[in-house]
Amino acid sequence: MSKMTEETLEVYTIEMNSKNEGRAGQFYMLSVPGVGEAPISVASGFGRNLIFTIRDVGSVTSKLKNLQFVGIRGPYGTGWPWKEYDEVIGVAGGIGIPPIRSLLEEMMDSGRQQDLEVMYGARTPSDLVYKKEFGDWTKSLNFQITVDTANAEWKGNVGFVPTLLRKAHLSKMAAVFVIGPPLMMMNTVKEALKLGYREDRIFISLERRMECGIGVCGHCNVGEYYVCESGPIINYSRVRDDKELFL
Amino acid sequence: METAFIAISRDFQTYGAVERDGEVIFDRVAGFDQVSEERSRYAPKEFLMKRNENVLILNVENKTAVFGIKSCDLKGFYLMDKQVFGKDPFYTEKREKTLFANFVCSEPCSGGFCSSFGGPVLDQYDLQILREGEKFHVMVSEKYDRYFGEFKKEAGTFYSDFSNRFNSKLEPLPVEGIERRIKWNSELWKEYASACISCGACNFECPTCYCFDLYDDGNERKREWDSCILSGFTSSSAGNIRKDLDERLRQRFYHKFVYFKKSKDTYLCTGCNRCVEDCPVGIDIKEVITYDYNRE
Repeated sequence: MSKMTEETLEVYTIEMNSKNEGRAGQFYMLSVPGVGEAPISVASGFGRNLIFTIRDVGSVTSKLKNLQFVGIRGPYGTGWPWKEYDEVIGVAGGIGIPPIRSLLEEMMDSGRQQDLEVMYGARTPSDLVYKKEFGDWTKSLNFQITVDTANAEWKGNVGFVPTLLRKAHLSKMAAVFVIGPPLMMMNTVKEALKLGYREDRIFISLERRMECGIGVCGHCNVGEYYVCESGPIINYSRVRDDKELFL
Repeated sequence: METAFIAISRDFQTYGAVERDGEVIFDRVAGFDQVSEERSRYAPKEFLMKRNENVLILNVENKTAVFGIKSCDLKGFYLMDKQVFGKDPFYTEKREKTLFANFVCSEPCSGGFCSSFGGPVLDQYDLQILREGEKFHVMVSEKYDRYFGEFKKEAGTFYSDFSNRFNSKLEPLPVEGIERRIKWNSELWKEYASACISCGACNFECPTCYCFDLYDDGNERKREWDSCILSGFTSSSAGNIRKDLDERLRQRFYHKFVYFKKSKDTYLCTGCNRCVEDCPVGIDIKEVITYDYNRE
């Protein structure tokens, strides 16, 4: 590990000295020897240094912060299929932002940032991560932020993240990439459909308990899918009827 | 059979079903006559997936021949293969080096319902053995043909006739289409949840259940059989998608009869009845198949 940044009270970002061989949306299994492993989405673009933004919630994620060496295997799962679309809107809620940051870097590295818009919502201004990068992002693309609850200093949008979709300029043919807590994803998908985006161009990211990462151990099984294999990024039209989708 | 056993034992470490202290288990055997035709107390899953093993080191396995596994238990491996083989290096290494010689039951066992899933004569096997008095009929896969070179080749329909006779003695349950009949909000799940004590025996007994947990233990990273019935199975930092026991019980049956059917075009059950026999509260998977969901 080469660098650690505190993002919020419970979220931090680590950078490694190795390159990301995965695509935006994919994840790696990070481990602390003697403690265990945790699936973490990659926050940097393909070919850049590996970056992970981690919420300190468990036995592994509380210890990854101060390690000199981090165990790592992967990448696993599916990525955002941005190359297949002329226009992309990334919508992230809360700690769903890292895979969108990775997407942003990949599209920038391909010179396609004008085909991307990013909508990002957090509960409060102090829950926002990557604050130092907002300036650069705003210069490169239509980047909108909202918070559910503002404080005195906040001058930006207030409201849930689905409302930001109305501020998108790209056409209704754009692919919509949604990632965040289940309720946020459900409401964003609903809003996107209401606004006229195509159901088969909406992609969501399923978060499930994952242990093996190779489609065997069974923990991430939802319907006929193993999320670590068929997901985490999956076309909404493939899973829309799954009864456990937004749990 | 003894001749073939000797030939096989030159290339493989031989194991067989044997009776020890009143229980049939698998152990080393030196002759075919030592192999018990009784079904083992537990499905011999450990030949391919140890209850608990270190997954930081992949050992090169010895070639192993297992005699006396029953068809229902062996079929479990063929079903597991569809999800596990080629992906899990530990399972795959053992699978490729293990020969299974399965016994076809000559009579239906009490409680078993294998005829619902094709019966005891399997389409896939290494050596499939059926006793007729003192004679053994053996179906040999091409891979192991060389061990039976000197034996008389049997033509005809012995096995299919036997299979038809067996399956007519044990009427198959109406399993076809269960994936469409079964109901998400059925009362069955709540009823089962009110009795179930979350022991996980159904998973551990099942010859087709392959789910496992990974955890660190000192310098080792261990894989240990896990159970979808236990409350922590799906808990993550995002919450728990199956907080309630009825949801977890439903998941078990949906995985077997709906999801696996959708993804692999077969049911994840062999009709062995082990989960029924070892359930301390009498939950019967046969009822999930035969239940009249329309009544609700």
